[in-house]
Amino acid sequence: MKIIKYLSLPIVFGLIVISDSCNPDKLNLTNPNQLQPETFFTTENQVKSAVNAIYGSMQTTAMYNRHIWFGNDNMAHENAGNPQLEADKRQYLNFDFDYNHGAIGDYWESCYRGINKANFVINNKSIIDNIPEGQLSPAMKAKYDGEAKFMRAMYYFWLVTKFGDCPLVLEVPSDIQGLARSPVTDVWAQIESDFTDATTELRDKADEELGRATKGAAWGMLGKAQLFQKKYAAALASFNNVTGYSLEANYENNFLEETEHGPESLFEVEFNVAAGNSARWNSGVSDAGLNESCFRGQEYGCMDWFNVFPSINLTSEFEAGDPRYGFCFYVDGEKYNSGANTIAITPLAQSDGSTYPRIGWKKYQNYYKYASESTVSPGQASGINMKVLRYADVLLMRAECKANTGDLPGAVADMNIVRARPSVNMPLYGTPEMDAIYPVSTTEEFMVALEHERKIELCGEQVRFSDLVRWGRLAPFMAQLKAGNQLPIKEKADLKFDPVKNQLWPIPQREMQSNSKMTQNPGY
Amino acid sequence: MLKRTVFIVLFLLANLSLMAQQTVTGVVKDSGGQPMSGVTVLVPGTTAGTVTSENGKYSLSVPAKAAALRFSFIGYTTLEVPINGRSVIDATLQLSATDLSEVVVVGYGTQKRGTVTGAITSVSSRELTSLPVTTADQALQGRASGVTVFNNGSPGTVPTIRIRGLGTMNSNDPLIVIDGVVSNGMSNLNPNDIESVEVLKDASTTAIYGSLGSHGVIMVTTKKGKLGRTVVDFDSYAGQLWNNKRYDLMNVDQYIQYASSADVTSPPPVITDAQYASRLHGANTNWQDKIFQKGMMDGINVGVSSGTENGAYRISGGYTKSQGDMIGTGYDRYNFRSNSEYKHGKISVGENIGVSYSTLHPLQSAGGRSLIQHAIKMAPYLPVYNPDNLGGFQGPHSAVDGQDAENPVRVATMYQDDQLTLDLLGDIWAEVEIIKGLKFKSVAGMEDIRLIDNQFQPAWNDDNLPGGATHSNANAIIGKNMSNYRSLIYTNSLNYAVTFAEKHNLELLGVLEYATIDRAFTNASSQNTISSAIEELTSTTVSVSSASDHYKRIGYLARLNYNYDQKYIFAASIRRDASSRFGSSNRWGTFPSLALGWRLDKEAFLSNVTALSNLKLRASWGQAGNDNIGNYSYASTLTSNMYYVFNNQLAPGTTPSGPSNSGLKWESTSMLNFGVDVGLLKNKLTFSAEYFKNKSSDLLMNLNTAASLGVFNGSVAKNVGSVETHGFEFQLGYNQAEGEFHWSANLNLGTSRSKVLDLGGLASVDPGSQWQNQPITRLEVGKPLFFFYGWKFDGIFKSNEEAASYLNGGQLAANGGVGAQGGDYRIVDVNKDGKITSADQTMIGNPFPKMTLGLNLNANYKGFDLSVFIFGSYGNDVYNNTYYDLTGMTRLFNASVDVLRRWKQDGDVTDIPRPSAAGPNVQISTRGVEDGTYTRVKDLTLGYTLPSRLFGNYISKFRVYVSGQNLFTITKYKGLDPEVGFYQPAGTTVGYIGGGAVTGNGYPLVNFATGIDYGIYPTPKSFVGGIQITF
Repeated sequence: MKIIKYLSLPIVFGLIVISDSCNPDKLNLTNPNQLQPETFFTTENQVKSAVNAIYGSMQTTAMYNRHIWFGNDNMAHENAGNPQLEADKRQYLNFDFDYNHGAIGDYWESCYRGINKANFVINNKSIIDNIPEGQLSPAMKAKYDGEAKFMRAMYYFWLVTKFGDCPLVLEVPSDIQGLARSPVTDVWAQIESDFTDATTELRDKADEELGRATKGAAWGMLGKAQLFQKKYAAALASFNNVTGYSLEANYENNFLEETEHGPESLFEVEFNVAAGNSARWNSGVSDAGLNESCFRGQEYGCMDWFNVFPSINLTSEFEAGDPRYGFCFYVDGEKYNSGANTIAITPLAQSDGSTYPRIGWKKYQNYYKYASESTVSPGQASGINMKVLRYADVLLMRAECKANTGDLPGAVADMNIVRARPSVNMPLYGTPEMDAIYPVSTTEEFMVALEHERKIELCGEQVRFSDLVRWGRLAPFMAQLKAGNQLPIKEKADLKFDPVKNQLWPIPQREMQSNSKMTQNPGY
Repeated sequence: MLKRTVFIVLFLLANLSLMAQQTVTGVVKDSGGQPMSGVTVLVPGTTAGTVTSENGKYSLSVPAKAAALRFSFIGYTTLEVPINGRSVIDATLQLSATDLSEVVVVGYGTQKRGTVTGAITSVSSRELTSLPVTTADQALQGRASGVTVFNNGSPGTVPTIRIRGLGTMNSNDPLIVIDGVVSNGMSNLNPNDIESVEVLKDASTTAIYGSLGSHGVIMVTTKKGKLGRTVVDFDSYAGQLWNNKRYDLMNVDQYIQYASSADVTSPPPVITDAQYASRLHGANTNWQDKIFQKGMMDGINVGVSSGTENGAYRISGGYTKSQGDMIGTGYDRYNFRSNSEYKHGKISVGENIGVSYSTLHPLQSAGGRSLIQHAIKMAPYLPVYNPDNLGGFQGPHSAVDGQDAENPVRVATMYQDDQLTLDLLGDIWAEVEIIKGLKFKSVAGMEDIRLIDNQFQPAWNDDNLPGGATHSNANAIIGKNMSNYRSLIYTNSLNYAVTFAEKHNLELLGVLEYATIDRAFTNASSQNTISSAIEELTSTTVSVSSASDHYKRIGYLARLNYNYDQKYIFAASIRRDASSRFGSSNRWGTFPSLALGWRLDKEAFLSNVTALSNLKLRASWGQAGNDNIGNYSYASTLTSNMYYVFNNQLAPGTTPSGPSNSGLKWESTSMLNFGVDVGLLKNKLTFSAEYFKNKSSDLLMNLNTAASLGVFNGSVAKNVGSVETHGFEFQLGYNQAEGEFHWSANLNLGTSRSKVLDLGGLASVDPGSQWQNQPITRLEVGKPLFFFYGWKFDGIFKSNEEAASYLNGGQLAANGGVGAQGGDYRIVDVNKDGKITSADQTMIGNPFPKMTLGLNLNANYKGFDLSVFIFGSYGNDVYNNTYYDLTGMTRLFNASVDVLRRWKQDGDVTDIPRPSAAGPNVQISTRGVEDGTYTRVKDLTLGYTLPSRLFGNYISKFRVYVSGQNLFTITKYKGLDPEVGFYQPAGTTVGYIGGGAVTGNGYPLVNFATGIDYGIYPTPKSFVGGIQITF
């Protein structure tokens, strides 16, 4: 009896533990430090936060924080390089980048990270739809889906225009194996499909938080995607749905911090120095941390790093007396910082003893209110948003659609709206004065005028390089540059443009190494 | 105070009474005729027993029916003498080097040495405490074959222990089990509380720990009370530490000569500008002398133990304190322990509880440089102190001195970093003998570690020249960090031991175990802009963070041990473990083992070989696992560290971290072991040899996801790697115990070689930047784990012409894309393609020793004892990264006097390259690789035991000794110390206890950084005197 009494305690205790241990749920532990995808998307804040993350990939150093403008503006030779321009940015000028180019790899990966973030929202639509209507209305559920689709299409747009065929990743991955490339036609179809969904799901600009994708932006980008495929009629219809927008009376307001999200703005990349920028140097692809400011002012600024400046090819495109020259550029001796300081730029000394004229960029610079970028704490930080799509671009694209669908008068009229902006007020196309230099009596003539107008109106806005590619004008333009004398001597000598390979960027080495199904673009 | 407490407890417990029946007395002597105290005298099969007194006498009340007395003493052959009605029984015990009836601690039980079939090395308490080390794990170095210990000279720093080499790119740490309870480590144990340490090395001994056992098991048994009268042990020691080894650096005159040379990176104003002349001739500081000091160590330990047939206890207290021989370092620790055991009929209960409280002052570092690196680089003309500067120290001014080393005395003494650790470790247990031979045992163990790290740095300013100091700290910085670790383990076992038909010995064991570990840490820091007098957090510039994690494990184990007449031995076990570290689909792992043993000496055909006292052949095979891979690796998570701006307000964003691998499972290791044990001349001469071959597979690696999948983490953990490790171990002992002069010699050595078989399809893995944006160590298929990787250095180009003509000027890759010049490295074209490319980088060294050796010599004559302990490490390389500081010449730091014979002009033939700010001559190459082989006299001890008659009845032993450590070292290594372990700078935050730093791609940093000398704390020499008294 006594033994049983003594035995009972450990045995009972033991049995409790045995039964306890046999319960397999004991081993299902959740990480207390991080959210789990399995239990996410139960509140609007969670849905919103997943949508917010998608936009962040536009702020990486490969994208609007730094490299996307160098890549486009340098390849189009809107920029010339100063001697201190770093090699990876000079390679855009020279077309001697290869698959090891870090920022091209970061651009590729930034876009795909944005796509993965969008897929996370789109793939979980059924879970989001389970949120009670009282907490999140069907219209808002659709709106968040629309934002995700708009952004997914944006990233694919940036990919297909630079790399051609791309892996069409539409699901959050479950393993390490990547997909094979899909033909550009499939990628464009996906882009159109996503933008189309967004046009019905998104809200109007007036109803939406500043910075979010809107119905107007979706119609504008859908039209642009259709135009890039030369689907002029469809594109025209899309552009006609862009309503409620107008040109800024003052051209310059498109590029100032205080006039962001004006009547002309369809979609812009947000920057705000006060929101924090501690991670701005190291957000090559991840967007983790605070990178809410932009390097544009520091990099292009003629009183700062002055790494690039407007090329003669660009500045000579301006007609005499075009006020946009003064809105876009600073010249030596010009007052800035509300008149407190004076611009000092000297011509670029060249190897043969000659000089190359230099002016500075004014577009997207903070000099209208600061003496230099370093006066804005913590330095090298601009808060001016970068425009992805503005109404002037829509008007010029709509004009292009009209011209190519037989409505030349309508096309000229659209183009003239841009010319007639109060602060610009340049002579209109179709008038004798303009017919002398840019006649518009045929579609071919119109396209020459349109190229001229787009080059000026949208200079330094990452538009011209893609225009040259889609028009088939890239190779002739490069040949003209190589033959002419509009480039600095060294830049002309170093220009290695190859019409076979340089229509596209190389597929980054990191993709080639990590994805056995990947193929390289021709020539690389 | 401590002593008084101990004695009060002692007197309370000494009142336990004995019950008496009839009395037997006698004297126990050794083979030399000397009386032996402390010999256990027992009546077998009963609980009656005692121990002999200081003069070898015993008196024991024995039950009337008792048939025999058993005399046992560690290290001596146990003797059983029939009583035959006598009342006086004297006995003589024979010394034995390896007593085959000696009990060895194995997982979940004990075994007789004679029937052990696995690879187990035992280390006795005498060996562990013969060196005055502060932690027990340090003392394992050289004591057990196959165990490699990388110590660090900094007091209280936990060493790196590897059993049978390396087997994975993840954790290679062995499992530590203290009194049957899985523990976080043994660093907080008092070495004086340890009875024995058993190192389990092969599958038949480690597979019973299943998912924890693949890198070996260290079983620590603490001292228990022994049957007999009350014994009080007291010991105390004190000593000094020092290190006189220094690098030969330039003095002020040499520095000025060097810094003014035209070929050196442009001279700073301090050299060229007259207004700084007084600065240049203000001091001639030997910065190395300023960071070394005479350290000291002392310790005191008291233990009280006693036992009766109804119970036994031992309580102890200890205090140890070391002040390192590098300034600012120190460690002290209080230990308390109480182990007791009580019997009531068929039920036994007991507890083992240890408490330690320690304070560690780690070696400081600053700005990514170690203290020694700063001491090398500091300008010799700067003084240590300058009362004009806030804080009172002097440092360089970049714009004037052309360098930015930090004053190492300021770094080491002004930064306060007190790491207070409280470690509670213990278990309670109960055992019931249900029927004869069948026992049920229940053990509940726990460990609770609390680390509080208090950091404080006052405001200071190192220089008062205009333009602001290069190094300054405007505000006081306060850091308060806490980390907790709590483990609970509950083990139930059923053991049945039976002998049938006289010769069939069978033992069956079943175990159920349930364990949890909960960890958390909190880091907080703030600044005080107003005062350096307050060392507590304020609300200015606050940074806080915290994290926690949890772990659970369930295990089932069955084991069978069988032997026929102790001649044919068979053992088998199987364990199933489930761990919360893995997804539900692969949560359970199965770990089998099998072992065979054959005692040839018991065979009839060898019975006439009288010299042979033991000959055993052993073989074992089994599988063990490693789940030490971090919690939640299998689960997918979200990251919320994304932001964007909407309506001009910051908005947080959330996205998946990456795909999960719910199929994640254990790393498993198959282990094969063959062993032979030989004992000759009554085991006076013993020899054993082992061969092992381990193959690890399913090693966890992070494989990159395709970039186009856009995954935030960029990688997914997969069980893909495989490594093979093999080696030999030998132990040779000779023990001469007859006559007045006793001596013994024990030699152990172990080898191991690892080879990477598979990296999941990757050809190589490197850990990211380890120096100047270059990796130093690497994993590569077909190569050993963590080898040094770099260029092969082939001297210095004599001239520009020679450099230009070498490989047609093709040495671009190694020179940062520019052509080599005279005075630059000549790199070997390893692949002979006519140019130097990254493909010419190759294996240039292996930090892991090919062989380690321990040799222990002991001699006794009358009261004198002498012991010598020699440790050797052979075939390992060290990457001596201090060569960069000594002869790198990338900037105007102070440097070795060797830079005075640098290459200066065409035709110079020298081994020191030209100075170059761009640093083409500091690329990772064989120039940094040195032979790390060394042989060191770790300990030399001379002791004298005073004759016991001097002290009457109260003192049974009184020994005094003097001992010197690390007095002689034979090595070719040019750094301060060839024992280069793992250097990790002291941090400003704490992480999980038991978690270590990791590389950028998620592997433990200790794997990749061991053997790289970043100015590691060198092992000091020391001299200690002490006394040991037994009452």
